[in-house]
Amino acid sequence: MRRGYLDRAGTILLSDYFVLYLSLAYVAVLIPFLPVLSTPANLSNVLSNMWPLLVVAIGQTFVLTIAGIDLSQGSVAGLTSILIAILIATAAPEQVLGHTPVWGWLLSEAGGPLAGVSFGTWIGVGIVLAIAACIGFANGLAVAVLRMPAFMVTLVGLIALSAFAIWLTQSNNIRNLPDDFIALGKGTLVSLFFGEQYQAQLPRREVHAFVTWPMIVALSVAVAAHILLSHTVFGRRMMAIGLNREAAEISGVPVRRIIVMVFVISALCAAIGGLLYTGRLETGRPTLGGGNFLLDVIGATIIGGTSLFGGKAKILWTVWGVLFFVLLGNTLNLMNLSAFHIDMVKGGVILAAAFLDVSRQRLRRSRT
Amino acid sequence: MSDTVLELASITKEWFGVPAVSDLTLTVPRGNVVGIIGENGAGKSTLMNVIGGVTPPTRGTMRLKGEPYAPGAPRDATRSGIAFIHQELNLFTNLSITDNIFITEYPRRFGMVDHRAAMTQTQALLDRLDIRHAPETMVEDLAPGERQLVEIAKALHRDADVIIFDEPTTSLTPRETARLFDVIERLREDGRSILYISHILSDVRRLCDKVAVLRDGRLVDEGAIGDFDIARMIRAMIGRELSSLFPDRSNLPSGQVMVQVDGISQPGVVADISFQIAAGEVLGLFGLMGAGRSELARILFGLDPAEKGSLSIDGREVRGAAMQRIRDGIAFVTENRRSEGLLMDAPISENISLATIGHIGRGPVGLLDREAEQALAEQARSDLSIRASDLTRQPVRALSGGNQQKVVIAKWLAASPKLFIIDEPTRGVDVGAKYEIYALVDRLAAEGNAVLFISSELEELIGMCDRIMVMNRGEITATFDPRETEPRFEREALLAAAFGEIVT
Amino acid sequence: MIRPFRTMTASVALALGGAFAMPVQAATICFAFQDLETEFWVAGHLAITTTLTEQGHTVLERNANEDANRQFEQVNDCIAQGVDGIILIPQDGESATTIVANAQDNDVPVAVFNRPPSDLSRGIVVVADNATIAEQAVDYIVDQALANAGSDETLNAIIVVGDLGDPNAVGRRTGFYAAINKHAERFNVIEVASNWDAATALSNLEAAVTANPQVDLLFTSSDFLFPTIRSVFEPRGLWRQRGEEGHVWMAGLDGDATACQLIKDGYVDATGVQDLFFEADAALQAILQAIEDGETDPNQVIEDPGFALTADNIAEREMDMWGCVLLAEGFLD
Repeated sequence: MRRGYLDRAGTILLSDYFVLYLSLAYVAVLIPFLPVLSTPANLSNVLSNMWPLLVVAIGQTFVLTIAGIDLSQGSVAGLTSILIAILIATAAPEQVLGHTPVWGWLLSEAGGPLAGVSFGTWIGVGIVLAIAACIGFANGLAVAVLRMPAFMVTLVGLIALSAFAIWLTQSNNIRNLPDDFIALGKGTLVSLFFGEQYQAQLPRREVHAFVTWPMIVALSVAVAAHILLSHTVFGRRMMAIGLNREAAEISGVPVRRIIVMVFVISALCAAIGGLLYTGRLETGRPTLGGGNFLLDVIGATIIGGTSLFGGKAKILWTVWGVLFFVLLGNTLNLMNLSAFHIDMVKGGVILAAAFLDVSRQRLRRSRT
Repeated sequence: MSDTVLELASITKEWFGVPAVSDLTLTVPRGNVVGIIGENGAGKSTLMNVIGGVTPPTRGTMRLKGEPYAPGAPRDATRSGIAFIHQELNLFTNLSITDNIFITEYPRRFGMVDHRAAMTQTQALLDRLDIRHAPETMVEDLAPGERQLVEIAKALHRDADVIIFDEPTTSLTPRETARLFDVIERLREDGRSILYISHILSDVRRLCDKVAVLRDGRLVDEGAIGDFDIARMIRAMIGRELSSLFPDRSNLPSGQVMVQVDGISQPGVVADISFQIAAGEVLGLFGLMGAGRSELARILFGLDPAEKGSLSIDGREVRGAAMQRIRDGIAFVTENRRSEGLLMDAPISENISLATIGHIGRGPVGLLDREAEQALAEQARSDLSIRASDLTRQPVRALSGGNQQKVVIAKWLAASPKLFIIDEPTRGVDVGAKYEIYALVDRLAAEGNAVLFISSELEELIGMCDRIMVMNRGEITATFDPRETEPRFEREALLAAAFGEIVT
Repeated sequence: MIRPFRTMTASVALALGGAFAMPVQAATICFAFQDLETEFWVAGHLAITTTLTEQGHTVLERNANEDANRQFEQVNDCIAQGVDGIILIPQDGESATTIVANAQDNDVPVAVFNRPPSDLSRGIVVVADNATIAEQAVDYIVDQALANAGSDETLNAIIVVGDLGDPNAVGRRTGFYAAINKHAERFNVIEVASNWDAATALSNLEAAVTANPQVDLLFTSSDFLFPTIRSVFEPRGLWRQRGEEGHVWMAGLDGDATACQLIKDGYVDATGVQDLFFEADAALQAILQAIEDGETDPNQVIEDPGFALTADNIAEREMDMWGCVLLAEGFLD
């Protein structure tokens, strides 16, 4: 009897949906104390926060699968953010940006070179994605061919690219992005109107975005990534490299080519995430993706269940990991903790989740 | 002087109700070397863990030097005078020999660590074991055999009465093995008792006073070494008669040269290697460790570069990286199954399909055809009789050594190669499974493939090969062909060639 | 980049307490700020929250840890929680514009201070006028310098400029020239670039002083450079107290604790101060007013004229300057 009970608990622990259950349980525990958690306004926020992070975390999942790590994702996002803004801004103040190295030949009072060009935004997106792919290619070459540790290569990328992005605009931000680009970051396809709401002193319209362009972009990326990772020869070869690079090589897996492609994918995901954040904030920022961003990306991916040591990853896990991280940030905001306590509580919750994950691994091992 | 040191009475150890060792009674006389043999999973490790205090027995008692002995932890076993020399040594490679010996209890003087005393005592121990290294030498600078001697020095330092060796010779060169045997000889004369676990039955024959054979957790046979020939050991271990260690070869090599190797050289690794293998031929490659055998294999497979030379199969030159060479018909069963041959944590089916995964991809993005993959694995299971419960879920880690090796071979069979390079295929594989692997090698040849069989076990080469090539320091020093030199292979001549001595 | 202004103070509480009457109804206010790294901020944010709490309002505090994206998400979360108004100290002007627009689109009034949004047309924005503040401080030392010099003497004036990519630095330089140009014929101006970096300032200032050993007046675009200036001036005998022969008339801007100490010690003569009490007060007052009026998107620019804390007025205005408040609390001990 008891054994059956434990068995069922074990099955939940080992399920692909474990972190989703964990997130739901977390929300269920908190709802009595934080009713606002389940309001449409809050759900809309949670979703909006989730999509860009998810895209970046998917890229990281790929790199972790081959037992690598990509620390340069944050700076790629920052560089992307500033490059797209330079290319497609519709106006730029000389007083602020006049002394930047891009002033005059790329950026002027009339904005970037693609301002006013038809399909300019999409040409710009194409260009920055190509640049990101080149960065990923360089990272991949250094790791695969020169056999440098991914940690070092991408750490250098992290430092150098973010310095380059800051230098490009001398730490200034660029606004005046065209509407079609901003729509990419926050454009709504389906909103729901919940009537007037009187909880605040001022009546307000409760119109909340649910289906947005970032959602479409992120879910498309996720579906494509899932197929690539779990249902193709390419994904199988990635797993093999992550499990045992030597054995994979001896078994005829084109190890170098795959490592390079994985870093390209990671950089592309970082760039797409950067574009979404840029559109949402309506500002090209060289420092986008700085600070704790990378920890959120890697943390969410690991909490989802992807192994830091390679060979064990699923996109679905990453989706739940990102959901958990975003919910955590969201609930901590809602708890009205003092600013000091927030990070302490956050650390505690992550620790607990990590502990659960470790026991999960142990259980999985003991079952095979 | 045959008073009993260690006495096991009706020891039973169960894991979740399943006995790993059942009702085992055994005595270890003082000054005796007792060989413990049995197939993998026969209960040897569990028994040793019980003796070493790693896990308590479910039932039964032990007596050590006449006293009841019930260790609660490995620490207790050490204190009571039982030393355990594991396959994977327990040394801190970044510390000196002295530090390793004294790590738990440094001699003290006025409350300070007395380095000088420690050094002197270490030196004395090293002298006893003929280790010509200074006590302050870092363990990482020692060869594997020497490291093992340091473990033994540790045991001597603690004045252990019973020393357990678990497969001590797997990573040793023949010379180091000989030296280890000398040391064990001396320990015996010293009045210490040795439990010697090994798969190498000739070593057991040579070294032990007494043999105990385990099968399915039971002691199925025991007796003085004089009464135990190898045939009896094998019979007891596998529980049936094994007519021969090696299958009869079912074919003769065809006259047709399939593999042609010409003048392969890489400075410092191999020099001017040329040979041919006919279709259906098993060519043995013998040599001591470091003779360049595995290095040659890696070059042939395109993993390491060669400065000069060529390899062709059926008249077509083979070049490029491993990926390319697999397509051109080479398969490589590596020496290290775990680190180079298998994805230990991946399921069996994924390991079997790995080399041919490209063929399983469908459509422009290469979608996996899981049914095809499963069919491939299923076929391999029936073809090679791989013993596994669930091909798509069970990780290869959970398989026995012999079955793991079959998975490696299945992987290559799927790629339908022409040349099989097989490096030490029976290492860490128990007797019964060894025979199956030999039978597979025979089958590969019978199907018209060329096989390059690399091994440091002379017996298996003599048993399986049509010709044997011997390497020494990167060069081929001799090739033996029994069709020309009667009667069969000469062991002495092969060994002499391996040591680089002139064959007369 | 150095941000010379990070503001708010312990005695904001005192200032606000008397500044305006209680609003009709208790409100929930989201106070989103960009950073809480220094002791100064710790005290400052405590002051604002206690003030609001004491007046019966509920405060939701949100620390963005210098991450604009996080601040955006935090303000959205505040909105979801149904706050009545938002007070924002933004990470930068550009993200502030988006956040303000977003709040107003959700019918929540918002006020910004300390660092203005790049677009001043939406929201309640309290702007410090760097030019006016700088001009006030420089006016004081120009007058003092001229009064202590011969009537036909030409004086050497140094301005340490900040990073001119920063509108703050531009405004401060403008203010400096506005004051100097009232007596343009009496001054020979030497510009020293700092890019808001102490090491750059050090080497450029050394070069300037070596070329012009006679210095009569100096204005630094930020107080944080005073220790650097001292290390250049002291070995050359230029670091003298007021009244001593060879005293250089010096003014800064920001009003940090070091500047307060140096004015008291007589080495520095004035510093221009963003009047943060005024700013916080104005932002609060405007937001509460908007709530009371039922206005969801109040747009208003409030100018903070700032003031110059000088050797002459330090006695009465000391406690209006955050640097001196910190000093009084033992910040430099």
